[in-house]
Amino acid sequence: MDRHIRWLLVTPAILIVFALTIFPLGFSLWVAFVRYDFTLGPEHPWVGLDNFVENWKDPVWRASLWRTAWFSVSMVAIELVLGMLLALAMLRPFRGRRALMTLFVIPLFISPVVVGGFFDLFVRRPYGVANQLASWVWPGTVTIDFSIDSPWLYIVLIIADVWQWTPFMFIIILAGLAAIPDTLYEAAELDGAKPRQSFLFVTLPLVLPVVLIAVTFRLIDAAKLFDIIFSLTRGGPGTDTYTTSYYLYQQGFEFFHLGQGTAGAWMFMIMLTFVSYWLVRRLLKPLEEAS
Amino acid sequence: MTDGGHRSRPEAGGATRVVRGRRFRIGGIVRFVFIGIYVTFLLLPLYWMAVTSIKAQDDQLADPPVWFPTDPTMTNFADALNRFNGWKGLENSLIIALVTTMLAVALGTTAAYSMARYRTGGKHLAFWFLSQRLMPPIAVIIPVFLLYSRYSEEWLGFSLIDTRIGLILLYTVFALPFTVWMMYAYFRQMPAELEEAALVDGCSRLQALLKIAWPLAAPGIVSAAAFAFIFSWTEFLFAQVLGRDEAVTVPVALAGMITFFQGNLYGQASALTMVSLIPAVLLGILVQKHLVRGLTLGAVKG
Amino acid sequence: MSDEVFHDPEVSQEDYLSGLRMARRDFLVKSGLAAAAVAAAPLWLQSEQAAAAIKASTGVGAVRDPIAANAVAAAKKHSGFSMGRINEAGPQALDDKNFSGPLWEKLTGVKTNLTEAPFAQIRTKIIAESLAKSGALDSVEVSPAWIPDFADQGVILPIDSLVKKNKAEKTVADLHPLYRALARYKGKTWGFFDDGDVWALYYRKDIFSNAKLKSAYKAKFKRELRVPRGWDEFNQVAQFITDQMAPKVYGTGMGRALGNPGNQFYFFQQFRSNGGRFFNPQTMKAEISNAIAVKTMNQILLQNKASPPGVEKLDFVSGWGLWLQGKTAMIMAWPPTGRISENISQRDKAFSFLPKSQIVGKVGYSRVPGQNGEHAGAFIKCVMATSENQEAAYLYNQWATSPSISLQRVMLPYTLRDPYRISHYRSPAYKKLWKGADQYLITLNEAANDAVLDLSMSGAGDYANALDRAMTSMYAGKDIKEALDEAAREWDSITNKLGVAKQRASYANFLTYPGATSKNTVRKRGQAVTV
Repeated sequence: MDRHIRWLLVTPAILIVFALTIFPLGFSLWVAFVRYDFTLGPEHPWVGLDNFVENWKDPVWRASLWRTAWFSVSMVAIELVLGMLLALAMLRPFRGRRALMTLFVIPLFISPVVVGGFFDLFVRRPYGVANQLASWVWPGTVTIDFSIDSPWLYIVLIIADVWQWTPFMFIIILAGLAAIPDTLYEAAELDGAKPRQSFLFVTLPLVLPVVLIAVTFRLIDAAKLFDIIFSLTRGGPGTDTYTTSYYLYQQGFEFFHLGQGTAGAWMFMIMLTFVSYWLVRRLLKPLEEAS
Repeated sequence: MTDGGHRSRPEAGGATRVVRGRRFRIGGIVRFVFIGIYVTFLLLPLYWMAVTSIKAQDDQLADPPVWFPTDPTMTNFADALNRFNGWKGLENSLIIALVTTMLAVALGTTAAYSMARYRTGGKHLAFWFLSQRLMPPIAVIIPVFLLYSRYSEEWLGFSLIDTRIGLILLYTVFALPFTVWMMYAYFRQMPAELEEAALVDGCSRLQALLKIAWPLAAPGIVSAAAFAFIFSWTEFLFAQVLGRDEAVTVPVALAGMITFFQGNLYGQASALTMVSLIPAVLLGILVQKHLVRGLTLGAVKG
Repeated sequence: MSDEVFHDPEVSQEDYLSGLRMARRDFLVKSGLAAAAVAAAPLWLQSEQAAAAIKASTGVGAVRDPIAANAVAAAKKHSGFSMGRINEAGPQALDDKNFSGPLWEKLTGVKTNLTEAPFAQIRTKIIAESLAKSGALDSVEVSPAWIPDFADQGVILPIDSLVKKNKAEKTVADLHPLYRALARYKGKTWGFFDDGDVWALYYRKDIFSNAKLKSAYKAKFKRELRVPRGWDEFNQVAQFITDQMAPKVYGTGMGRALGNPGNQFYFFQQFRSNGGRFFNPQTMKAEISNAIAVKTMNQILLQNKASPPGVEKLDFVSGWGLWLQGKTAMIMAWPPTGRISENISQRDKAFSFLPKSQIVGKVGYSRVPGQNGEHAGAFIKCVMATSENQEAAYLYNQWATSPSISLQRVMLPYTLRDPYRISHYRSPAYKKLWKGADQYLITLNEAANDAVLDLSMSGAGDYANALDRAMTSMYAGKDIKEALDEAAREWDSITNKLGVAKQRASYANFLTYPGATSKNTVRKRGQAVTV
């Protein structure tokens, strides 16, 4: 009975995912190995690894990989720390906590395209507010153009992403902290543990799985950073803010060099797979051990 | 017992910021200052968005920037909703997001329960679910478009392009990895004793799942549901490509307003964004209610 | 069949034009009423334009436009058909939603299903729909730069036989020669041109006639202050105005943001005006990093110096905002600039993203310095090859671009389509729109006579994008020669990727268009129109 039930429970999920992804993935894999470019005509002869190589020849692709890596790592790191601190700070009840939590959640509900658009409005001169704000805290007028000058440009992008996604970390970590039973703390207390020790030995280990999930998902999504770039900088100035997703979108979608774009996407996915596999193994271990 | 009931001893609770006996005040002040800074950081762009939505046209592009418009107006709202697909977007987005959430949570939780309690599929199934999220959209967007516009008609008899159901199915596939993993971790962490006890008392596995596991996993379910909803509510690229004039969603309507070649309708875009935050606030209230409840009730007793 | 028309009862045109604002205490009431009015009025037809359009399509005698009327008559048999159209999201789509779409349905019974997309995605959506062969799109808006690829790949249909069948040759003859050529490719006609997007120079008459300024200029440069006729003179005048009047007024200030509107337009314009050419026609090597190119970029950078701070990221509409607020003295831009300067467009709520003009009556029009203005962008109405009712799509295009209907459409307050027919340039009705409209039309016509075209060949988008990016990096401080060399290398790799022989043929075809180079404009070919 058990044996059948357990497969029954997973089948619907597996079915729907499989049904909707088998054709697109198969087609996409085929496109990566043929010539599929709108300007070059309707024939699709096999070209082997040419599409893949085409990406590597492009310095913009190479630069975008590196940039995507450090963008996503810095964004997720900041969101993790901030989210953790917020979750800890909000753990104890106080007046207005409910209202604050509702407020915290709001940035998640705004489409990233719009967040990028509004941060752009915020920092763009001469109508943006950022320079005015900066000159309130900094002596003299601030003539930095936050959306063009390095390194401010990158800082603005990171801030936009952090603004939007910190609540994600916050909620997940909070849910994780909430699941830790009080009895464990009481037991630790009885054993003479100080607050810092109970944090390190009770809280952290138990919340780690949840944190790792949050980090894994967030990292994967941050690596695919697209919407904010699309609306804030369009990859500019020059190609300074091209992320891999944006580069592939432009090549494959706007210019319709679909073979090259798809090949690049598969390579990128393989890279992401390695990263997430490593993270997941770290994640599954404590879960296996947890009881 | 309400808030604070179980927190009788301030030192417990795992928050290093909290209460350390005599250092209570400093810890508390640091906490509130920190929260205060974060709230300011959070509110600044939101305020700007809100004020942009009620600014008259002359105040939109003003130097120096207008913080308090002297002639606020609601015409941006009327415009965005009536002339730029606002109502249609809201209706579609709401339906799509709600159905996707229900599907993703239902399918995801049941799958996760099976994977957590019985190790169904082991590591490989778990990783397979996760891998669905790894694919950059560009690799599949054209194939999905072709699937929806041409092949679904040929193979199934109806076209999925520009339909709500089409987007619902796709979004469910995108949201499932997250709901599965979230609940998987949750169930793994949850001690199985209660369910064992129920089984001993004569419940079937299904009853154990429904009556014991689900309620205890409520905070996890709520957050998983929240994120499934959020994803569907804010997804832009696929909605834009797979929609034409019927299945227009809020992000698509918004993007049409602010990526325009010869004019950016910031007033209208912020107006529509403000309206679209209403479900956000409602959901936020729901989420924090369950989270707070989870915080104070604790989980399992000894 | 009554011509019931819905006005917005809350704000009359006079109130708007005289700049009355709502009192704070009334705003809730009035906004509520406005919201209700807008919500209650599903069709928002401009009364005069709609009435005139209907008369032209169905009337008799002098008001009848045979092109429009024939299209209507022939399309009636398709009544009930749902035509799929695609247009740019935002104000551009209002024409379909509020005017052309409802009117066409009223006249023929053919419905419009409009897909709106951001401009950057229109081309891809058309291609994708073509691949899917779903028949969802029938009449599409195509940028001239896309015509070569779309025609070669069979995305759109040649319409010569349909033009003949419907005796619509006169509609083509009425187009300005520049625009007539743009819809032709490889000996066939591929659509109906629909938007005269030629750049002109808009300047502040009051600043140029300011006595103090004039004498200071004369003292400094030993010649009269006048509307600049060359690029270096433009920089000199702009910088002078900035030195004298900043930060109240700057000499110039045009949007330089990436893709908004797209810096390649500025380069295309000035580079060719200075005598440059894009490729070597035999070897197809890109020539955009030679001495002329460096000189052009230096001139463009000097323009930035004379502009308000932040111009490097200034988007196109913010540039308009500055202009309307009187903060810039000269700009080169699309024709709507003339209309918005006179508050014509701002009468419509769809244009509420623009401030009201502070410079009404103060604007003069001229060709750009160097005379060869860029013809940038534009739209052509085409028929999708995968359409399930090609004739219905064709008839809509013929009707919407017919002399009478197109005249009404370019006079709509919220329109972004600009005059493009000889009959538009001569139209008495248009000249009445504001004092100075006659000069405006003359200038647009002359600008078209001397205009140079967007690069229109295979892979045009790739080339344009590489150049746009290179220019933004130069604005941010990158060395000019280095950035241009990099752009040229990218151009060469694009050419190689698409096939040198193919590109050579495509470029050779482009060179046959009037305006492909500054030596080959409409005027230089002896086809100049006088209005």
